[in-house]
Amino acid sequence: MGIAGKTLLVTLALLAGAWVSGRIERVLMRGEPGAMHQAGTAAVHLGRRDRWLYPIGPAVALAAVLLGAVVMPFGPALVGEDLQIGVFYFIVVIDFAVLGIALSGWGANTGHAVEACYRAVAQLVAYVVPLGMAVVGTIMMAKSLSTTRIVEAQQGVWFIVLQPLGFALYLVTGLMQCYRAPFLEPFADSVVGGVLGVSTGPEALIWRLALSGLLLLVAAMGAVLFLGGWSGPWLPAPLWMALKTLGLMILMLAGGRMVRPLSVARMLGLSWKVLIPLGLANVLLVGGLILLKIGPTG
Amino acid sequence: MNVEQTAVLVAFGLCAFLALAGALGMATTMSMFRSGIFLMASFIGVGGLFILLAADLMGLLQIMMYIGGMLVMILFMVLFMHDPGGSMMAGMPDMMSPIERFFSRGLQPEPEPEPDEKADDDTGSSLKEDAGHDAMNRDEMDHADKAAGHGSHGGMDHAHMDHGSTSCGDMDKMGDMGGMDMDMSMVTPVRPVAAWGAAAIGIGLFALLLLRPDWPVAGQHPNPDSARAVGMMLMHKYMIAFEGAGFLILLGIFGAVFLARTNQHAEAPGRALPVARREDPPPAESGPAPGHEEGKWS
Repeated sequence: MGIAGKTLLVTLALLAGAWVSGRIERVLMRGEPGAMHQAGTAAVHLGRRDRWLYPIGPAVALAAVLLGAVVMPFGPALVGEDLQIGVFYFIVVIDFAVLGIALSGWGANTGHAVEACYRAVAQLVAYVVPLGMAVVGTIMMAKSLSTTRIVEAQQGVWFIVLQPLGFALYLVTGLMQCYRAPFLEPFADSVVGGVLGVSTGPEALIWRLALSGLLLLVAAMGAVLFLGGWSGPWLPAPLWMALKTLGLMILMLAGGRMVRPLSVARMLGLSWKVLIPLGLANVLLVGGLILLKIGPTG
Repeated sequence: MNVEQTAVLVAFGLCAFLALAGALGMATTMSMFRSGIFLMASFIGVGGLFILLAADLMGLLQIMMYIGGMLVMILFMVLFMHDPGGSMMAGMPDMMSPIERFFSRGLQPEPEPEPDEKADDDTGSSLKEDAGHDAMNRDEMDHADKAAGHGSHGGMDHAHMDHGSTSCGDMDKMGDMGGMDMDMSMVTPVRPVAAWGAAAIGIGLFALLLLRPDWPVAGQHPNPDSARAVGMMLMHKYMIAFEGAGFLILLGIFGAVFLARTNQHAEAPGRALPVARREDPPPAESGPAPGHEEGKWS
């Protein structure tokens, strides 16, 4: 499989996943359209946009999603590129999405969009440390940063059984990372959808693709880290991976809608007072399990 | 030269261009937001150079640090600084050198003074059809504004606006002082000296590079599993320094939290403000600012 084939595969997987995530969201939000789909109903005064920063934003966000999809394994050999430091690479390149929101938000030159830019950056501060701690637990057990090795380490027992705390942390921080239900402050109605409210046409399409792809990738990475990735009986490997990703997406979207939306300030409070201590406890617990020789051997 | 070498060469060219152009743009653009983004681009280019040197972990660390860190730094800069969008200098392109003008292209000059806009809105809502009358009305308002600004400078709401709104108030102030208040701008007299000094240092570095004939080249291949090697180094050989740095950072966080906390001591001067805020504030126009009257407010 050449590099062109890999690129095509990754893009196709991303498109299909983004479409599915959009459908799920629409089913869940029947009757009460959320901010993501109702953006821009209020009047927005468009200023003169920054010709350099504003158009780059959606491209940077989409690039983040495409680059992140490269290390996502959908089968034993069905991975764009099995990097040695795959999980770390994923965490790094996904941050480009925040950069895209910041660029477009500032460049759009309207009050709401600039506010959305501030909120997105503050949200980054809130989730990045606990997310890392949730991921560190699985890396410690798998003894590797490669996504395929992490899946192979879960052939016996999934990490969700051994690290339920880490899984819960990952769900919460993952929702923060992909700007879904309780944590959609940068795209909230109070700022008229943020950057979504000021973008139209192809830009809006790229934004929606990037945001749906973000949800897909976060769910898929959760499946890889905690649910055993592609492994499972009877069904072929890519189907298992797709099913787990789908289940995790539904769990995240439905669970997130049970909670009242949080402001960025409360998100930061939650992060520093609850999530980071829990993350440290999770790392300690996993270390104890490893010392007790519970978990994958070898 | 085969395909792979060409690809490496092209990638090197791109990364080097990103690093150099980003640095140049950082130093010459008039918008602080753009400046931060340019600096980030420069560091991402350096991260790409790291990856080309097979130090992929270092490259990704660089990118991770500078996306998140630089975005947060930009956020604080925007919140604290006087003119983060560079609108003050964008209005006077004559004061910029050509390269500064290039990197500041598309920046928005300061908006028109507030009363003009207000007049626009008022007439726009009531007399939308009568364009001629609208324009005449606006002219009248302009004259009235000039009279208020330069003549008596006594209009109550004009004086209030001077301090209330940041962007428009500054324009008014500048007009009052004859537009020559250049202390706040990014243009300083030492700028040409600094530019020539930087150019001289750059030429000197290039000369060193060219005049040294046998640049040492290591014969060994880079370690493919650099993450493991770095981890082993940090946790074996340099563990004391590593943990010590972590402890210092923790102390820094404690110090920051302690400094940012409201002082609880009854006689501390910082306590006057929060206590005063709980009472009913007087009308803002009369007398000096409430913080100066210690006896009345504490």
